[in-house]
This record gives sequence, C-alpha cells and structure tokens, in this order.
Amino acid sequence: MANVRLLDIKKSFAFVQVLHGISLEIASGEFVSLLGASGCGKTTLLRIVAGLESVTSGGVEIDGRSVTTEPPEKRDIAMMFQSYALLPHLSVYENVRFPLRMRRIGSREEQDAKVKAALETVQLGHLADRRPRQLSGGQQQRVALARAIVSRPKVLLLDEPLSNLDARLREDMQVELIEIHKRLGLTTLFVTHDQEEALSLSDRIVLLNGGRVEQEGAPADIYARPETGFASNFIGSANLVPAEISDGPGGPLARLADGQEIPLAAEEKARGKVTLALRQEDISLVDASEAGALKAGLRTRVFLGARNRYVLSLAGTTIRALTANDVMLDDGGAVGLAIPADRIRVLQD
Amino acid sequence: MVRAVPTPLRILAVVFVILTGLILLAPLVVVVGVSVSENQFIAFPPQGFSFKWYEKVLASPEYLSAAATSLQIALLVTLSATVIGGAAAIALHRRQLPFSDVLATFFLSPLVLPTIIYAIGMLMFWSAAFGPVSPITLWIGHTVIALPYVVRTTLAVLAESDPFLEEAARTMGAGRLQRLLFVVVPQCVPGLAAGAFFAFNISFDEAVLSLFLRKPGLTTLPVQIYGQLEFSPDPSVAAVSSIMIALTIVLIVIIDRMLGLSRFAST
Repeated sequence: MANVRLLDIKKSFAFVQVLHGISLEIASGEFVSLLGASGCGKTTLLRIVAGLESVTSGGVEIDGRSVTTEPPEKRDIAMMFQSYALLPHLSVYENVRFPLRMRRIGSREEQDAKVKAALETVQLGHLADRRPRQLSGGQQQRVALARAIVSRPKVLLLDEPLSNLDARLREDMQVELIEIHKRLGLTTLFVTHDQEEALSLSDRIVLLNGGRVEQEGAPADIYARPETGFASNFIGSANLVPAEISDGPGGPLARLADGQEIPLAAEEKARGKVTLALRQEDISLVDASEAGALKAGLRTRVFLGARNRYVLSLAGTTIRALTANDVMLDDGGAVGLAIPADRIRVLQD
Repeated sequence: MVRAVPTPLRILAVVFVILTGLILLAPLVVVVGVSVSENQFIAFPPQGFSFKWYEKVLASPEYLSAAATSLQIALLVTLSATVIGGAAAIALHRRQLPFSDVLATFFLSPLVLPTIIYAIGMLMFWSAAFGPVSPITLWIGHTVIALPYVVRTTLAVLAESDPFLEEAARTMGAGRLQRLLFVVVPQCVPGLAAGAFFAFNISFDEAVLSLFLRKPGLTTLPVQIYGQLEFSPDPSVAAVSSIMIALTIVLIVIIDRMLGLSRFAST
C-alpha cells in the first residue's frame, strides 16, 4: 500500500496535447476512479502511472519516491487490461504466478501458497490447470484480477476491466471488486467511462474532460453537487436547460426561453443567464392542467422494464424524465412537469 | 435462404474440382507406379511388380551418400532459417525498426527472385570472395531461400496475438529478456514450427541452387536424381522419389496433428 502523487502531468502525442496539467493525490488504500468519455485522456493517465507511457512534463510519485523515469517493470504496480492480456500458452495457475516469478517474490512454496490464495479470492481454485482459452469471458476476467492482486502491488491499476462483460456479470464483479478492495486495501486507480460503475465502486471520482480535471469528489458529493454542465450531464445524465434568473415576489424565479417560470429555492444566489441542471429522476409527470405545472410536449416513451423514460420537449430543449413503470402516457400530447425547487441545480454560465 | 446454383454450373464446378485433383495427383501416381515396375526403363503403365528398384536404391552408395548430404544440410537450414527468420519476424512485427515495411519486403524477396538468378549470383560471389564452394555455401544459400517461409508463418502467428501481452508482462515485472523468453517466443512457437517444416522441405527439395553448387562430395538427393535421369535412367529414380513422397506425407501428418497446418495455408 502506498500513496500516489501526480504532479502537473502534461502529455502530447505528436501535435495533439491529450493531458493539460493534471495533479492528483491518491491516499494509501484509496479507490479512485478516473471517469470520462473516450478520448478524455483517462487511459493515457493510467498508462503514465503504470510507466507504459512517458510524460511530456510533470512527475509521478509512488510512496513518496519519484518513479517518473522508471520503466513499468521497475515499478511496484499491477495492471489489469481491458483485453485481460492473459498469456495463452500458460495455465491459469502459471498466469497468476507470472508476476511472482518475474519479480522473484518468495520461494517456490510461498509462491504456490500465494497463487492458491489469489485464485481462491476470485473463486477459481478449481480451474487452475485450464488454459485461458478454455475459460469464459467472466472467468478470464477473474484470472486477470487474481494475477493483478497476487503480488500485493503498491498500486493496482484497472483499465475498464468490466467493459467486456455482460450486464449481469458486471454487477457481480462490481460487488466482488468492492469486497476485495475492502479486504486487501490496495491503493487502486480505476478507469471507466461508466458513471454508475464509478459511483458504486469509488472512494473518490475524478471526472476528466478534454485532458483536464473537470471535477473531483466523493461519489455522493459529485452526484449531488456537479459544478459544471459537463459534470451534471455526465454524472446522472442531467438535462441542461438554459434560463434567466430574476427576483420574483416569492423568491428567485427562473424564466425559460418560452417564458415559463420555475420557482427556485429561496437561498439560490445566482442571477442572470444560467443553465438549469434537471435530473431525469427528479422530474415527475403531472396533469397539464395542474396549477404550477410546467407545460411540455411529450415526444416518445421508452419502456425500460423497471421504469419508463419519457422524451419531452421543454421550452425548445429536448429533455428526458424517468418515471415509475406504471406511468403510461401517450405520445404527442401536452403534459405537465413538476420539479421540486430544491432539486434544481443552477449552473452559472 | 440458400440461392440455388444452376445445374450446368454445378456440373462444371464438380468437373473442375475433379480435374484439379487429377492434375495434382496424376504425376505422383505415375511416379509410384513406375517405381514398382519390373521394366528396365521408365515406362508407364508399369509392367510386372517388384521392389527391386527400392532394393537398388537402398544398396546404392551414391543415393545413400546424397541422402545423407541432403539430410544434414536440410537440418542445418531448418535450424538457421528458423532462428534468423523468427528473429526477423519478431523485429518486423514490432515496427520499431526504421523502414519496417521495406525490410519486410526485402525478407520476402527470395520468394519472387528466380532461384536460377540467385544461384548464378551466389556461385559467382562465393568464388570471387571465398574460393571453391563448400557445404557452407549450400547451407547459406538454402537458408536464404527458406527464410521467407519462416518469416511469413511467424508474422502470421504474431498478427493474431494480443498486442497488449508484452505491456502486461512489463507491468508484471518482466524485463526485456524475460519478455522475449517467456512471452514473445512462446507465442511464436506454432509459426516457428510450421516455418521450420517448410524450411526443411525446401532445402531437402531444392535442385537449382544445389545443381549450380554441386561438386564431388557435395551432391544432394535432387541433384543425384537429376544426374541419374540424365545419364542412366531407370526406375530407381522413381523409387527414390516415392520414398521422398512418403516421408513428406508422414511429416505433414505429424506437423498437422501437432499444430494444425491448415491455418497457414491461407496466409
């Protein structure tokens, strides 16, 4: 276990700068997610921590020691690849033993005990003699995880490890990752584009956008208080609606493009042109004639099983709302929206 | 829904397949047929049946010493072509060398260069630089001709491999030499084995270069067969050829059982 410090890291490939000065501290034993869309630089950042990519400027410290110029094989890390990267010519057992063998950790007997323990951790002890190609995708993924934790690295790096699994298996693996992290307490850096994954696994989320840190914080904080339009849209898929805030008789009022007004929480300070971030699950559909309801046009309903998603048109902006699955309205009509004032997040432009 | 192929076209296809098979197999049938003939001359269809030509071959010092020479050179060529070709393929696959594409073409060039031109060049070059030809000349010459096959089979295997394996090995603490020994070479094994098989066969089979470089004591089996055919043709030539065919078939079956040769047929 060790802490990791990234000091103003910049990275350019040829003429394209992909990281614009990223500084980050990861405490010992912390589980940090790098979250962002593809091309935001999250994988490049992870590869820089691994040593697979050099920095253009800046530094990497592991356990208080600069490793910026050290090759990956000299860093005490383990990385799990999106493709799992299991060695096809070796058995599951030998794959898991590989890092111990390469790093000359322990005697043959100690290695054997460690490999068996790691395989037990991922519940694959019975498949030790198989070859990787004889395993299912989920099993291969567990082998890769066992191989990553077997040497108890100072830093565990995970590059979208769950993205190749089907939905059900992904949920199981999330639980397993949380439990393994609790048990071993490895300092972990996890790359994902999936906001739910980041929210459910991390101690802290670092949201990247265009090679810069957009926002960072604990999952509950970042979910409840996104600071930018990008953050609120990426985490929680909030609807972004332009508005202008003025003082009304009963407190601040947000006026939409079509003149409709939404009352805001009394303590809201922002005035002038703003963007309103409205979460899908905070919008409820009511009768259009109800007092105080916002008028919106109903475009499409998408049945999701447990829920319904409605695609609506509000003041010229397309927005989405999630409702219970028993709310069934027909397409093409007018509908009323109710949004609790304290659920509306105001982003100053 | 399978679209029906018109009947005339089907018949044409069947005829085509049968003809292809016949053209490929007929010469072999003739050779094997002639080899068991009682006749003194090479004639088909064979007359009578006997193994006397096989007995003659196995008792002939010329054939046996030529076979020994061929076998020794083929084994040396297998070793050198596999090591050099494998190393070249690994280097080319990584694309870290300048002009990788040009180099790849260069390594495959013996495939398209007429062997006779290469043989003349080799003979002249060797005589000028080192004097009389020796088994080493033949070894080097055959290695050059066999190299492209090893390069191709190994590149084919590497192209299918997971590009992240080496990086993964680095994150597991494997240094340059360890990655080569424990990650890269093991992946290449099927390609190297197939390439080695081709290299052995090409060297054992090769006539043009061997003919140019022949001298007393340096006569390979194909050259011996050719000489026999030229000066005293009899069915012993067919008997040797039949033995070579049988050995090749055995070798193909073994390699195919071990590695599945068919996957290199298309590359």
